[in-house]
Amino acid sequence: MADKRDMVQIEALEKYFGEDKERVHVLKGVSLNIPEGSLYTFLGPSGCGKTTTLRCVAGLERPDGGRISIGGHTVFAFGERVYVPTNKRPIGMVFQSYAIWPHMTVAENVAYPLTIQRRSKAEIRQRVGNVLKVVGLDGLEDRPAPKLSGGQQQRVAFARALINEPKVMLLDEPLSNLDARLRVQMRSEIKALQRRTSITTIFVTHDQAEALAISDQIAVMHGGKLIEIGSPHQLYNRPKRRFTATFLGLTNLIDGKVLEVDGDSRPGKMQTKKGILSFIPAPGLKKDQAAVISIRPENIPVHKEKPQSLDNVVEGTVKEAIFMGDAYHCKIAVGDDLLAVHTHPFNAISPGDKVYLHLDPKSCNGLPAEDTEGVDESILGD
Amino acid sequence: MRRFNSQALILVGAILFVLYLAGVPLVMLLYGSIRSAPIGEPGAAYTIQNYVKAYFEKEFYFLLLNSIYFGIGTCTLTFLIGTFLAWVSERTNTPFKKLFVVMSLIPFIIPGILSTIAWILLLSPKIGLINIVVKGLLGLESAPFNIYSMWGMIWAEAIHLYPLVFLLMSAAFRNMDTSLEEAALTAGSSTFATFWRITLPLMRPAMFSVLLINFIRGIEAFEVPALIGVPAKISVFTTKIFLAIHQFPSDFGLAGAYAVTLLVISTTGVLIYGRITRREERYATVTGKGYRPRVIDLGVWKYATLAVSFAIFFLAVILPVFVLLWSSFIPYYGVPSRELMDKMTWANYHYILNYPLALTAFKNSFYLSVGSATLVMLLTSIIAWVTVKTKLPGRALLDNMTFVPIAMPGIVLGVSLIWVYLTLPIPIYGTIWVLLLAYITKFMPYGIRAASASMIQINKELEEASLTAGGTWFQTFRKVILPLLMPGFTAGWIYISIIALRELSTSILLYSYNSTVLSIMAFDLWEGGQYTYVCALGVLMVLLLIAMAFAARKLGARLGIAN
Repeated sequence: MADKRDMVQIEALEKYFGEDKERVHVLKGVSLNIPEGSLYTFLGPSGCGKTTTLRCVAGLERPDGGRISIGGHTVFAFGERVYVPTNKRPIGMVFQSYAIWPHMTVAENVAYPLTIQRRSKAEIRQRVGNVLKVVGLDGLEDRPAPKLSGGQQQRVAFARALINEPKVMLLDEPLSNLDARLRVQMRSEIKALQRRTSITTIFVTHDQAEALAISDQIAVMHGGKLIEIGSPHQLYNRPKRRFTATFLGLTNLIDGKVLEVDGDSRPGKMQTKKGILSFIPAPGLKKDQAAVISIRPENIPVHKEKPQSLDNVVEGTVKEAIFMGDAYHCKIAVGDDLLAVHTHPFNAISPGDKVYLHLDPKSCNGLPAEDTEGVDESILGD
Repeated sequence: MRRFNSQALILVGAILFVLYLAGVPLVMLLYGSIRSAPIGEPGAAYTIQNYVKAYFEKEFYFLLLNSIYFGIGTCTLTFLIGTFLAWVSERTNTPFKKLFVVMSLIPFIIPGILSTIAWILLLSPKIGLINIVVKGLLGLESAPFNIYSMWGMIWAEAIHLYPLVFLLMSAAFRNMDTSLEEAALTAGSSTFATFWRITLPLMRPAMFSVLLINFIRGIEAFEVPALIGVPAKISVFTTKIFLAIHQFPSDFGLAGAYAVTLLVISTTGVLIYGRITRREERYATVTGKGYRPRVIDLGVWKYATLAVSFAIFFLAVILPVFVLLWSSFIPYYGVPSRELMDKMTWANYHYILNYPLALTAFKNSFYLSVGSATLVMLLTSIIAWVTVKTKLPGRALLDNMTFVPIAMPGIVLGVSLIWVYLTLPIPIYGTIWVLLLAYITKFMPYGIRAASASMIQINKELEEASLTAGGTWFQTFRKVILPLLMPGFTAGWIYISIIALRELSTSILLYSYNSTVLSIMAFDLWEGGQYTYVCALGVLMVLLLIAMAFAARKLGARLGIAN
């Protein structure tokens, strides 16, 4: 799968924390390749290993197995005892706390990577000026670092990471310390900056909305393992794993057993408590396998009358309908289950109403009921 | 693996140095105490004779009793004074209480030998200023106070040591979660019952540890026992060790046996202290937020607390400082009077500044003070990085080793180092270098405490940011960690340079003519009966201390974070 255009290659990464009895296996054979120039996100709940993987790429953690290369050069290989120290890797990093040194000014912070290379004063001044312009902080050179706002600190951290023209930018939850409004603004700025510089960027986050908005590719991680890789569009609309479907956005899961399946391009049929439903199967799904159908609340049209000539229609009773402005968020009882359904705000609906839900087969993703150990090569994106 | 090459030399060097400084004197002291003859003499053999001689003498038990009596008296009195002031400043609405916070710390800067001398000049039965004044006022036959007694010793020691109690107890009052008290009040308990059943039990570990540390300090004290106890014929361990070496011929073996005994007592104390404070810290992590202490409205009683606080301040600061200043300007010691006032003169200062040894002593003290403070802080900063920031196996042991000398009384360290440098083929005995090593050893524990406390506060990402920016370990340490450590570094530096400048109990066993320091010079002048000269020297010492503290603050602020 490795490709010359892959800037970062990670193979079978293993990492343990702690000693002896308290040893915790935090990375269990993580492998992925990050294409040059892309904005690549590690997404997962806390403790999934995303930050540890990033820190292994930075060389701040030493893995207990596997191999990492950056720009075609091996920076870590367990068996061959290769370990390039952090300060020799072609990286720039933005930390969660920004790690702006409080004893230096803005310019001194940003100039640091050049200062320690003993570049000339003139060169440093010019490059600091340029990079501060890029992040929109020109004019603040002599401001002491503690006198910056959160957003400004973040820009300084970016400028410091960018100034040495790294091959890879590593961003460790850089937005988590900002307030909600600034977070959205900085999110688009990061994306714009990355487009402009086209520096390969790894972005770590636990916030799925952030990941969807910013990424070219997302690697979903859970419990020290890679779950699935894909574009935001693929992962949201056609997840191949149950964890991906539930972690990204809101979804309804309907348990069942596969009755009929023929490849992953043609709809299959599944026996559920709500009858036989058609669905789009995930790759590798087999007949008689325990499976779930995942369908998102916004993909379920609600009808007052039973629609004729449509597949996958189920009957339900509205239990709850909350008007959110842009939609009604409803809980609809179907059999023993409650399905979350979002309807158009004009579509007035109230508790007690009897309704018909159209579970459009195109929106129904059939997934294996359990996420199996290890990751099947076939679902690791492209 | 190359990552460690750049730092390996510094780290391994620092660790080995600490092990040498803390470990070798201990080993040599034990070795020396079981040798039959002084070092280097032929025919020396292993023996338990020194211990037999020490323990089977009746005097030993007087020593033990005196030391314990002195220790208990000192810790009780310092505790009462310090806790009272802490309570007043943290928990009451006494007027001007913030003023006391600053003023109560002044005895910190006065060297112990000067404070002892000041109290002799105030309370000596023959020449004591207070005695003469009170005798005159009340028409008494004999002096009402006698400094040359156990109570005199306890008083002179306690009035000098209480600032530490004040600081520790203030912190204990401040860190207490007041909601615990408020919960008792809302549960219907009276103010007194709350104090008795909630406040006191909560403070108990802090109180016990403060008492213990002052007991140890009392037992280790040298200045007061030497200047007051020896003339009063009240011997304690420290003076006995000193005399065993200063007699002719020196009895190194006996001194060693006494030193080991004193070391065992103080080590036991330190171990218990460590255990208590560790438990306290565990409590502190649960409730260690910044609480606003509940201030008690004392009503009219606040004037009573004000009066008592002022009386303490008067006794601890104004009287001693006054008597030192006064004595430094008069030709012979006497009660302030018109007649003497007319004779006020700079002659004492002229004498000191033209004293043949004075320049050497000033230079030596200054170099030793600045040198040991700087080296200790650099060394302990590196050690603190290892113990706080790395996962190196054995880092806890390293931390403990750096802390070991805290249990070594100054006089014991002196005895140990005599053994070390008379035995090892390192030709520095009798030079200023042996004093420098002694000071570094003795003050390492203070340095590691200041450095670790600051190191813990430095977010690991600040350091990692430098590594990801391409900095080597050494560059990171120099450009990021050290500047961020600067507040703790400066605080530790000031403290160490102050206590180094007044160090007496270790130096007195290790100095030679060319390595004389100021406190030794003061000691010699005092022994020679030249009281007014000592006072002039003392005033100059205090001025030097103040100047150094100011300079360090300024420099530290310029190097580190400027707030």
